[in-house]
Amino acid sequence: MSLLTSTRGRRGLPAAAAAAAAGPPRRRWRRYPAWKFYAFVSPWVIGCTLLTAVPIVYALGLSFTDYDGMSSNWSWVGFANYTAAFHDDTMWSSLLQTGLYALLVVPLSLAGGLGLAVLLNQRLRAVGVLRTIFYLPSIVPVVATALMFKLIFDRDTGLVNGVLGWFGIPATAWLNDPTSFLVLVLLALWGMGGGMVIFLAGLQGIPAELMESASVDGAGALRRFWHITLPMLSPMIFFQLVLTLITTLQALSQPLLLAPSSNGGAGGGVTDATHVQQGDYLYMVNVYAQFFNYQKYGYGAALLWILFVVILAITVLVLRSGSFWVYYEVDQDGGEE
Amino acid sequence: MTSTDPARRSVLSRRDQLAARRSRVLMYGALALLAALFMAPLAWNVLYALKGRAESASTDFHVLPQHWAWGDFKLSLTMIDFGRYTLNTVILAGTFAILVTASSSIVGFGFARLRGKGRRSLFTLMLATTMVPQILTVIPTYVMFTKFHLLDTYWPWVLWGLAASPFHVFLFRQAFASLPRELEEAALLDGVGYFRIYWQMFMPLVKPVIATSIVLGFTYVWGDFITPAIFLSDDKTTLGVAMSAGYVDGQGINMTNVLAAGTVFYVLPVLVLFFFAQRSFTRGIATTGLKG
Repeated sequence: MSLLTSTRGRRGLPAAAAAAAAGPPRRRWRRYPAWKFYAFVSPWVIGCTLLTAVPIVYALGLSFTDYDGMSSNWSWVGFANYTAAFHDDTMWSSLLQTGLYALLVVPLSLAGGLGLAVLLNQRLRAVGVLRTIFYLPSIVPVVATALMFKLIFDRDTGLVNGVLGWFGIPATAWLNDPTSFLVLVLLALWGMGGGMVIFLAGLQGIPAELMESASVDGAGALRRFWHITLPMLSPMIFFQLVLTLITTLQALSQPLLLAPSSNGGAGGGVTDATHVQQGDYLYMVNVYAQFFNYQKYGYGAALLWILFVVILAITVLVLRSGSFWVYYEVDQDGGEE
Repeated sequence: MTSTDPARRSVLSRRDQLAARRSRVLMYGALALLAALFMAPLAWNVLYALKGRAESASTDFHVLPQHWAWGDFKLSLTMIDFGRYTLNTVILAGTFAILVTASSSIVGFGFARLRGKGRRSLFTLMLATTMVPQILTVIPTYVMFTKFHLLDTYWPWVLWGLAASPFHVFLFRQAFASLPRELEEAALLDGVGYFRIYWQMFMPLVKPVIATSIVLGFTYVWGDFITPAIFLSDDKTTLGVAMSAGYVDGQGINMTNVLAAGTVFYVLPVLVLFFFAQRSFTRGIATTGLKG
């Protein structure tokens, strides 16, 4: 705008000609009615309201009742469900277990994905094959992943005990406590290739001249990684951090599917959470059990809302921290706005 | 692109070259070992399926099958109604993928090309909703849909598809925003409406993004476990859920190696789809930059 006025002022040209000289007018869109914008984004606005906001608010309402999913004579119980939750040892132990799970999985899978990306960003033989090998596990559906890990870690027929047996190490029931948690963590880490792909894309966006001039100036590989690669990748690391954190905190299918089935095999029904080992008893497993094993809908809804608040708090903290360590090359507000 | 720079290597002495070669061999060895570890679950699953019932259950450990039992792959297709569950899943995943692509591209076009008050805050809000864990909405939705008699139908997936998904919207918005503005200005002067501009001009230009969106939507439903497990009954459920509980013989014993064989058929389509979509998929991620 300032360019436009200064042009007009200096040369005394009519506004239209000045606008033409300064290129196509940027604000032509003002001529088009805003309702078209709202019409185009309405699927998301309506969908998000009905399928995200309403269910969450509904759960809040539910959490103040003793509804059991069937009977019509339920009643309001105020904060009783929340009070019960804070005095419930299972709630605390499952929350603690989930925190431990996130504390292990998030940093390890981020560091692993980053390490793989840096390694596989070099000119290596068969680099395409290697990238595919590390990426594949992250797209295998969870039903299959859980089965594969059950087969590998099976006490009697599994690959792990078989190989350990060669060295005379006695068989371990990995899928039971106390090692069940280890299998759960390894299963999550197996998917670190998902982050690797994102980081690889980011690495290819780092200008080669930047790396070259740094090494001409005498920066070693480690310093280049620390002072160029990491800052340039920080938006992607940040994105991946938030994504992994949220998937980790809501993990449910993995522990359910890893639980030993009642008839001893690797398959079997998973509609009840009671077979899940103590080490795998994550927060969402407890919530699932309250709803689908014990029909305590009100209590389960209260647990959901506690998790919601916890995740909200963590996300806000992580987002706030972002301004200290995430580096944006271009101003975010730039562009065509 | 590469971190080994020729300018530096040329000034290295022969001893340094030898050391560099040694570290290279070491790195290849480490990578090969790591790759073997990552492939082990997949490879073991296939080998386990090939061992047959008796051998796979034996505690006598061999890596390779003593007798290759290909027959159990056939059995895995007949022991559960594999065809029906596959059809269920294809219908469900296909419906969702097409609907979510249609709705998300429309919303993405709105965010990229149209203006209205609150556009920026709406977009930020949409990105923020991706941080609401899905499971938080799925269980209350289950309780609500029970009342609307939407349980054990495919309607929830239709509704989720029509509602657009933030991630898909983001992909389309970024793709549309990168197209030149002159594109629609001529059409607008000719009096062409925005919907026709979106459908006839913009959509044909972002075919790789459409493919990516459909593949992502399809594989999401194909691989999802908890939602169909909660929402659908045994007849209408998806292949993944049916498999996780289905391979049980007359005495209630799990036929684990037949399940392993079935898993191969279940995983293969996902791997093939991603293999073909990978190029446009990674390009989509790379160009959108994930900066917002």
